[in-house]
Amino acid sequence: MSFLPLKERSFTVKIMSEKIYKLLQQGKRIDERTPYEFRKITMQTNVVEKANGSALVSVGSTRILTGIKVELGTPYSDRPNEGVFSVNAELLPLASKSFEPGPPDERGIELARVVDRCIREGKAIDLEKLCIIPGKLVYILYIDIYVLDYDGNYFDPSVISAMAALATCTIPKYSATGERVEGEYMRVPIRDVPLSSTIGIIKDKLLVDPCLVEENSLDTSIVVCMDSASNVVAIQKNSPGHIPLSLMESIINVAEEQISRIRTQFKEVIGIEKEGREHC
Amino acid sequence: MPIYFNDREIVLPGQLLSDDDRRAGKGTYVMDGKVYASTVGAATIRDGKVEVITFSGPYRPTAGDMVIGVVSDIKPIGVEVDLGGHVTALLKVKNIKELTSLDLKVGDVVYARVASSGLKGVLLELNEQFKKINEGVLLRMTPTKIPRLIGKKGSMINMLKKITGCNIMVGTNGFVIVNGPSPAKEFAAISAIRLIEREAHSQGLTDKVIAYVSKLVGSEVMYDTSDKA
Amino acid sequence: MTQVIKPKLIDENGRRLDGRGPTDLRPMKIEVSVLEKSDGSAYVELGKTKVYAAVYGPKEAHPKHLAIPDRAILNCRYHMTSFSTDERKILGMTRREIELSKVIREALESVVFLEEFPRSAIDVFIEVVQADGGTRTAGLTAASLALADAGIPMRGLIAAVAVGKVDGTIILDPSDIEDKYGEADMPIGIAPGSNTIVLLQLNGKMTKDEFKQGLELAQMGIQKIYQAQREALRRKYGASVTEV
Repeated sequence: MSFLPLKERSFTVKIMSEKIYKLLQQGKRIDERTPYEFRKITMQTNVVEKANGSALVSVGSTRILTGIKVELGTPYSDRPNEGVFSVNAELLPLASKSFEPGPPDERGIELARVVDRCIREGKAIDLEKLCIIPGKLVYILYIDIYVLDYDGNYFDPSVISAMAALATCTIPKYSATGERVEGEYMRVPIRDVPLSSTIGIIKDKLLVDPCLVEENSLDTSIVVCMDSASNVVAIQKNSPGHIPLSLMESIINVAEEQISRIRTQFKEVIGIEKEGREHC
Repeated sequence: MPIYFNDREIVLPGQLLSDDDRRAGKGTYVMDGKVYASTVGAATIRDGKVEVITFSGPYRPTAGDMVIGVVSDIKPIGVEVDLGGHVTALLKVKNIKELTSLDLKVGDVVYARVASSGLKGVLLELNEQFKKINEGVLLRMTPTKIPRLIGKKGSMINMLKKITGCNIMVGTNGFVIVNGPSPAKEFAAISAIRLIEREAHSQGLTDKVIAYVSKLVGSEVMYDTSDKA
Repeated sequence: MTQVIKPKLIDENGRRLDGRGPTDLRPMKIEVSVLEKSDGSAYVELGKTKVYAAVYGPKEAHPKHLAIPDRAILNCRYHMTSFSTDERKILGMTRREIELSKVIREALESVVFLEEFPRSAIDVFIEVVQADGGTRTAGLTAASLALADAGIPMRGLIAAVAVGKVDGTIILDPSDIEDKYGEADMPIGIAPGSNTIVLLQLNGKMTKDEFKQGLELAQMGIQKIYQAQREALRRKYGASVTEV
């Protein structure tokens, strides 16, 4: 078990919280954005050739690097026809003075599990196509997320980078009898692109993609993940504090709009039906 | 004194600066009778000593500095104030009554003078200059760029205050408070401060900042630059 | 199980598998100030090896009872991402990462003026994003730059490179495959300003002459790396970039 004692959490600077709320009442934010405006998002794929898939994604100054390694293994006994994937995340001490070296703490584990649910419930991967010999041999995808630089909101760029790495991931091809087909590779079969939007709440005001300074002043925050049909595929209230019930509907609507905008950019940059790249 | 650099030349750690080990100033070290740079910075001669003006680096508290800090703890002995980096200072109180009358809480921002800095740690003074700051935006800058923000005899900071109409308080430790009549003017001041931080060591900065911030504020301010830094 | 066949690492003309000659360094890319939140940072690429380094500090030493009264503690963590190697690396610190963290820390401690920050800590984090040989030397090269970027006073920079021995020939900057199948691998870190060795290890076997040859070859490589480090710092701090 790991926990962050209350004293270790960075305390709120009162005049900043007051200023942030005062600005919000005028529809403005401390970094000159509007409440429903994301910071600039950049996406680069295939940044680590040794990985089967990789993506470096930044949202403002927050930067996430995800890499995927593919191995062969046995499927779960209750899902003999499906490939397997697991998500891990590390909040690297390089990224922030509040990230300590060591095994993932509760925040890193929460990040990994929420991204996992987003991808799993969002049916992002066609797991049946990752089965080689039913009941015996399947592909195992290790999706490992590393936070390299942290200026607030590691959830959304983590989801984007995991999806971008998956969408551009190439895996060695195996025949139906489990033999390696030399020189042939295939893409990870992607069915959908579930993405997320983190929303911060201060009193009665909402803001999307909180930067670090805002994060320290929020009453609470929530991550909403949706697929391309706007189904909610994961939700995580990831901070202590209260969400007024009356705000929930707006939260979902705001998230939907943000996610669909990010998905448009994602499809432009990554593409889903992309030509096979040169193999590793 | 033989020196091996041009004035204001950018030097790197380990670079040979001079053969005269009696004149080693800040940002340098002496080895085998020679003076070398210990940080990345601009080499110059000040008060007869070879000095490197470090570009980035931690705040080193000195008695007399005016600093801005965030209250991080309240103890019977006094108030702990976070000045950034490795420095937590103490605002000592005489008794509990004085502590209560200060009415400070964790997360409050204060402006104070450094009384002393040494074996006992950094002590802040509770004098007439002491102030609790009640509103504004708190910015954190690299401490080494603060002199540039202030300018020669305050020229840069006064110019900024005048053009943006904002009240700007500057702490030697790199913390800055901006408080203005409108968000637009505050954003203009903040952007200008960030520009100064990025380009602290380039020439012609004052004019650039004047043009930049005037444009942001949207006014055609004719500012007298005759006493610029 | 497939049989491991040792490839021929160097041909009759002295050409290595990637086409290099015995004394060639791989293409290098060095940048400073690549991360925003840390006090100083750097990125080093040597061939396919890609390494980040970040420095936080000086800062309060925690826990307080471990603080040293007359100087700062230097902490260093060398770590590899799971996808940096051919086979996925398990999460958590391996014994190798712990050993490398120690030798890199000791190299850095030799040049940093720790006495200027009593009771403080300086944290150095090295993250290997892709490993193709020479990761600890690239990490040390990056860490020294990150410290300079953070304005931490030092005697000078440290540049590091490895030398190896393949099919009897001493080579500069072995790649992963040359390290794996070669007869020796020797990482060396030097503070060029004082011409002293601050990191030195040997994995393998060399004659005394080969060792001497390796040391000379390393110095040659280190001069080139040191030049690239200085250029990276000047690019960042020398130019006056217009970004209005």
